[in-house]
Amino acid sequence: MATKRSSSSPERSSSVRDRLRWARQDISSVLPSLTFAQVAYVLISPFFFLFGLFLLFPVVYTIYLSFFRYEGVSGDTLFFIDFGPFFIEFPQIAELTFIGFGNYSRMLGDGLFWQSMYNTTYILLIQVPIMIGLALALALALNAGFVRFKGVFRTAVALPVSANIVAYSTIFLILFNETGFINYMLTQVGIEPVEWMRSEFWARKTIISAVTWRWTGYNMIILLAGLQTISTQLYEAAEIDGASRWEKFRYVTLPQLRPVLLFVVVLSTIGTFKLFAEPYVITGGGPTNATITIVQYIYEEAFVGSPNLGYASALTVVFVAIVSVISIIQIKLGGDD
Amino acid sequence: MPSDTTKFGRRRVLISAAGAGTAALAGCIGTGDPDDDGDDTGDDDAAGDEMADQIDVWGWDVAANSLELTADAYMDEYDATVDVEEFGQDAMKEDLRSRLTAGSGAPDVAMLELIDGPADIGTGAIADITDRVDESGIEGDFVEGAWASLIEDDSIYAIPWDIGPTAVYYRRDVYDEHDLDADSIETWEDFQEEGEKLPDDVYMFNIPENDLDGVWRYQFRQLGNRPFTEDGEVNIHNDDSLMIAETLKQLYDSGIASTYDGWSTEWFNAYGEGEIASLPSAAWMEGTLRAELPDTAGNWGVYRIPAHEEGGPRASNWGGSSLMIPSQIDDAEANRAWDFVKWTLATDEMQLLMYDEYGLFPALETTYEQDDVFDEELDFYDGQAARRVFADVAEEMPEYQYSVDTPYVSDAINNHFLAMLRDDEDPEDTVMAAAEEVADRTDRDLA
Amino acid sequence: MREQRRKDAVWKFLTYSFIIVMTIGMMVPLYWMIVAATLPQEEFIRFPPRLYPGTEFFANFAVLHEETQFVISIWNSVFIAVVYTALSVILCSMAGFAFAKYEFRFKEPIFYLILATLVLPIQLLVIPLFLMMAQIDWTDTFRAIILPWLANPIGIFLMRQNMKSIPDALLESARMDGATEFQIFYRIALPAMRSSIAALAIILFLFQWDLFLYPLVILEDPGNYTIPVALSGLEESRRINYDQIMVASSLAIIPMAILFLVLQKQFVSGILAGSLKE
Repeated sequence: MATKRSSSSPERSSSVRDRLRWARQDISSVLPSLTFAQVAYVLISPFFFLFGLFLLFPVVYTIYLSFFRYEGVSGDTLFFIDFGPFFIEFPQIAELTFIGFGNYSRMLGDGLFWQSMYNTTYILLIQVPIMIGLALALALALNAGFVRFKGVFRTAVALPVSANIVAYSTIFLILFNETGFINYMLTQVGIEPVEWMRSEFWARKTIISAVTWRWTGYNMIILLAGLQTISTQLYEAAEIDGASRWEKFRYVTLPQLRPVLLFVVVLSTIGTFKLFAEPYVITGGGPTNATITIVQYIYEEAFVGSPNLGYASALTVVFVAIVSVISIIQIKLGGDD
Repeated sequence: MPSDTTKFGRRRVLISAAGAGTAALAGCIGTGDPDDDGDDTGDDDAAGDEMADQIDVWGWDVAANSLELTADAYMDEYDATVDVEEFGQDAMKEDLRSRLTAGSGAPDVAMLELIDGPADIGTGAIADITDRVDESGIEGDFVEGAWASLIEDDSIYAIPWDIGPTAVYYRRDVYDEHDLDADSIETWEDFQEEGEKLPDDVYMFNIPENDLDGVWRYQFRQLGNRPFTEDGEVNIHNDDSLMIAETLKQLYDSGIASTYDGWSTEWFNAYGEGEIASLPSAAWMEGTLRAELPDTAGNWGVYRIPAHEEGGPRASNWGGSSLMIPSQIDDAEANRAWDFVKWTLATDEMQLLMYDEYGLFPALETTYEQDDVFDEELDFYDGQAARRVFADVAEEMPEYQYSVDTPYVSDAINNHFLAMLRDDEDPEDTVMAAAEEVADRTDRDLA
Repeated sequence: MREQRRKDAVWKFLTYSFIIVMTIGMMVPLYWMIVAATLPQEEFIRFPPRLYPGTEFFANFAVLHEETQFVISIWNSVFIAVVYTALSVILCSMAGFAFAKYEFRFKEPIFYLILATLVLPIQLLVIPLFLMMAQIDWTDTFRAIILPWLANPIGIFLMRQNMKSIPDALLESARMDGATEFQIFYRIALPAMRSSIAALAIILFLFQWDLFLYPLVILEDPGNYTIPVALSGLEESRRINYDQIMVASSLAIIPMAILFLVLQKQFVSGILAGSLKE
């Protein structure tokens, strides 16, 4: 194929290719001096470079703030660095009062913090298993050899994820409205309409269905990619041994897919823990705070009313700690080595 | 912006990259002010009267549109550019809050809702304009009741813009058809009696279940109350609050009220079709009704909000906003910003222009003297001089102090009042539960 | 044999039914969003709901175009997301490969640190990040939107998990043949990961596509707005312009649909099997 394409000017394109090859060799001749472990450090260093440059300060600042009460903006200089001709000045962003673990102890008695943790966990425990079950089933179905128009189906199932978050939340708001489409369908089949937004139970279910609708296809795509890294030889070998469909799934697919499945579980857990836009738009956290999530609560502490940045930071630190520990437990239980 | 900012910026990138690593070695880290020409305090003498050529002004929706009007007029008059940027409401609040707390990037003038006043002033990022106000002597020109949320420790932080004197809008045709007498309504009891004359498929008014705190707040203010005492104790479970809860529950239980969500399409449709006869709201509602329900023009009238007890007060306020100047901008910009704010808000011409075009009811009391404007018999109200009703209410409305903790009060009232109406809970328990929730979340005591 | 064939037919029927039911379930809200984009606002909240498109699409689009610079915003969003995705795919694959196939000190704690940054709510990072960007004069630039999130923990994690399935024997035999570690990475690991990289690209594209609060604060000139930022301007103080949001959201699906269809070709089985054959 390469020869066909380059037939018009074989000279030039081959010389370009040669030059590229030389360049690669030049690079390669320098690189092998790295040891095995050094290569690994080179591969992960861009992450640390970017993290150190952009996210280290916000992260450290958040932890720092969590020990203070925020009193307002300050115009003073915090400290400056003088290199003679170079001079930089770090402004003191905020007027802060040190309160030690005050923010953390306040959390213990904060009913709404516990309420929001409870809500988030409740939504998570129902939503994540349903979504991953559906996503896995879809991925398997859309990976089956006999299914036609795979591309069309895969795209159709994955498309909800491309809906703008405000637009799709609005759609669900209207679908589940008291006079909305869902209730219309219910009355058509003779079921009493449900007051979706007004009962604690149904409001949470509304959020769960919205989140599941949007993210199932996304997880399906990830699982599909995972399925395709499984060597077909393993299936061929299993077939020779006369394995049934279930046995192939149980003894080939599942163990091979485990790392990716684990990824999907951890990612969905974290994602649902970070739920914000859907309850913000669809239920506004109501009724009676039944759907307010932890990130929504953090957001409101920081951006609505007085800016309790210290308390919001402490909430964030605790939230990140809890969810990280849960993720690590999932990874350990998932048999990751 | 001077043209050398990019160069300066690029240099600073290099330095901070280098500096972060080597600062400790260099050993010349200091604290405190490096140079004493401090850019945030004592600006009056240093600043002089110099004014910037260009300022940015932020607002949302109708407010931004009306600022464009006054900015155009300002630019005709003075040699300066005023750029008005329009945002969505939430987007602007989020963006502005981030920039205020980060200490840079804020506009020169921004819209500030009265309800957000204390919280935003609490960020410490809004300029104290007391001296400027005193110097220009405009404080007395505004309605007294509009200032409270813009003043903290005797310092003024923003200038009132529009306010929302309350009244009940009613459909004259619906009232007439069913023999309701608007003039006879003085108390909520009268209101209910009249409402019961209506057939089952016509409602006397709407109780918006998504905005119960708005309803509660205007009535609480009507009774001259405020949610926190002078000492900062929670006071939303007092007798007045209880009276409001009982009134609301009785009206709800009597079946004369519909329960559409406020501002929803169903809600607009119901008013458009005369399914709901009255709408307790504020002066700004006229503009909305004109725009959304043009067919109903000429069928409306207004009367004062009913009293809770015979002879009780019937004036309150719902909503309103102001303009403020962030403290992070430099003096020349602040001077220009102040000049523009004064032009927009403290002159009768501009306030009346915005009232005419966009229905923003002026907080500038001196405008009410313009009889040709306020006593005009308006076709929209079938010849009633409705503006005078609002102006009278504005002059009588009690002061009201919003608080940094207003959002907690709103939440608690909304949640617990909704439970009271729906699940038939006791009003006394309701106000108590709401007060306890606020106390819990804000670390305050109950009064 | 016939028994087996009948079983297969039932299985195929069940599979197809499941796929079709799910596809319909996924398309209904999207379909309704598109219908809503063609209706005047009053009509689409009507009861019973209207289920077929109207004629107002262009009228709604005209208003949208007047209120926001929407076409430019689509371009901005696509540009930012494409550049971001291209750069981030490289970084994440590299780091993921290191975590999957190398041993080095502190590997586990470093990995958990990366995982923890995945949990961070962006909402709270916005203020300090804006402060930094203002200090270095990067506000209102695309690089300020792209750079901080390049080393995306989701991407690193995904590639780590997927690259685990590359058989060590394959890498070992390449080493025997004298391949350098980098050649192994781009000659063997990356081609074997075609479908995973496609999934990674979708994840990264979407991450950037959905960012709202951060670009809202960073971007100033409406000509630089991304789609979510531009849409936030449609919300007025008391009501939201649903019809325009629906138009905008329907149009914003197109770039994502194209991305899916383009990457679709990468979802092929059996790449590893081929390379394993001696």
